[in-house]
Amino acid sequence: MSQTILIVEDEKLIIVSTQMVLEAAGFRVESATNGEEGIRKARELSPDLVLLDIMMPGIDGWETLTRLKRDNETAKIPVIIFTAREHSRGHQKSEEMGAADYFRKPFEPDELIELVEKHVGQGV
Amino acid sequence: MTIGDIMDGVVFVDREGLIAVINPVAEDLLDVRGLLAVGKTPGQVAADDQRELAKALVVEIEAASVAGTAHRTVEIHHGERDLHYVDLRVSTVRDAEDRPAGKLVVLRDVTKEFKADQLRNQYLSIVAHELRTPLTGIKTYSTMLAKRSLGELQPNQATAIESIREQCIRLEHQIDKLVNLGHIDSSNYARDLDEIDVIAVLRGAVEPFRGVAADAGVKLELEEPTDGCKVRADRVDLGRALKAIIENAIKFTPEGGRVAVSAEVADGWVTFVVSDSGIGIDPRYQRRIFEKFFQVEDPLTRYHGGAGLGLFVAQAALQAHGSRIEVVSGLGTGARFRFSLPLFEEEVTEAPRPSRSAAGAIVSVTGDTR
Repeated sequence: MSQTILIVEDEKLIIVSTQMVLEAAGFRVESATNGEEGIRKARELSPDLVLLDIMMPGIDGWETLTRLKRDNETAKIPVIIFTAREHSRGHQKSEEMGAADYFRKPFEPDELIELVEKHVGQGV
Repeated sequence: MTIGDIMDGVVFVDREGLIAVINPVAEDLLDVRGLLAVGKTPGQVAADDQRELAKALVVEIEAASVAGTAHRTVEIHHGERDLHYVDLRVSTVRDAEDRPAGKLVVLRDVTKEFKADQLRNQYLSIVAHELRTPLTGIKTYSTMLAKRSLGELQPNQATAIESIREQCIRLEHQIDKLVNLGHIDSSNYARDLDEIDVIAVLRGAVEPFRGVAADAGVKLELEEPTDGCKVRADRVDLGRALKAIIENAIKFTPEGGRVAVSAEVADGWVTFVVSDSGIGIDPRYQRRIFEKFFQVEDPLTRYHGGAGLGLFVAQAALQAHGSRIEVVSGLGTGARFRFSLPLFEEEVTEAPRPSRSAAGAIVSVTGDTR
């Protein structure tokens, strides 16, 4: 069975285009358009990896990450932070908060696949 | 005009380390009005915990004793009121026999400028986010199409889509430059250090300029180093610096010329080189090309376009990595830009990862200007 990636991202365009890249590489893709929905879907679906945007309405990516890592059911799912804005010490901050990696948009599709393959299933 | 009329705070500390002169602006900024600071050391003045600026002054005077000068922007809390930012500059004054005679300290309240800067950076960062979001979609789709992941293409369709992808990467590079305009502070670079494959970063930097070079009739060549060599750097910074240098080289190389990009590995260093057969740089301007907005030509008559930011941003980014771009050029003889980074070698045993400050301490290769 193919592995499932959950994209948590408020921009429909990014969800659809990223989904196309991941599906072409053989992953199954689910999506959520805000942090709360992302947390709910992470619990329901137990995805093999979460791609998480930072700037979202409602709870932002950092808060979503904190909640995912605090919850025993989702704590072990690897999370890749996925952002279009510069964050001071973004890489270090995401590592300290328990994210598996940090990735900037726009991205090279090949690099995304490489990164997802590196971390997928690593948490379990 | 007397020292009392100067708008900046001025303090003179004599060779015994005692405050010899202090003007009213400095008394206010240091919060020592009426304290009779003259004849005391800055350390005695700083004794009260509330005097953040005086404490910083002690540290910077110490630093200036070693380096000759020191400069720092200090954040101070004015009681319960809001934050203030004070620019603190210390320079060593020498007497007629060239012996240190004391330290001259200039203090300037830069709170207004600092806050305006912060606002501008915040604004630029939001603008960049807004521009990158649609760009992410364009880049992803055009890459998928170019790679035939969505089916076969007619040759003219392939050419069109390759060009869309290339222009997209160029646009991304322009946005990066714009955002980094605000980041004159080097602490904004070298933030996400990672082990980076040299070949991949070179390919990524050359690719977006293939079409531009072809249109300009310039041959763009990439000489790849041996497989698997890596450097520890911020991926975005390194790619941005290389792109800026390549973009610049193509811009100043006339039709029929050549731009060569390479990386040489020797003695634990990777030296990135971009050389061109272009118009060259007048030796008078070789230092100045790294200044913000600097253009060799008169902006009203200029022909080459651009805002004069690329090399400035590239140099700032590399300096934060402990490196520096050097240029060797003469009028009419092309130019050769290069910079070095330490070769990253995988540790055999489990060792702690080098920290941000360890990377910042990397010694730069100094000016060999042949």
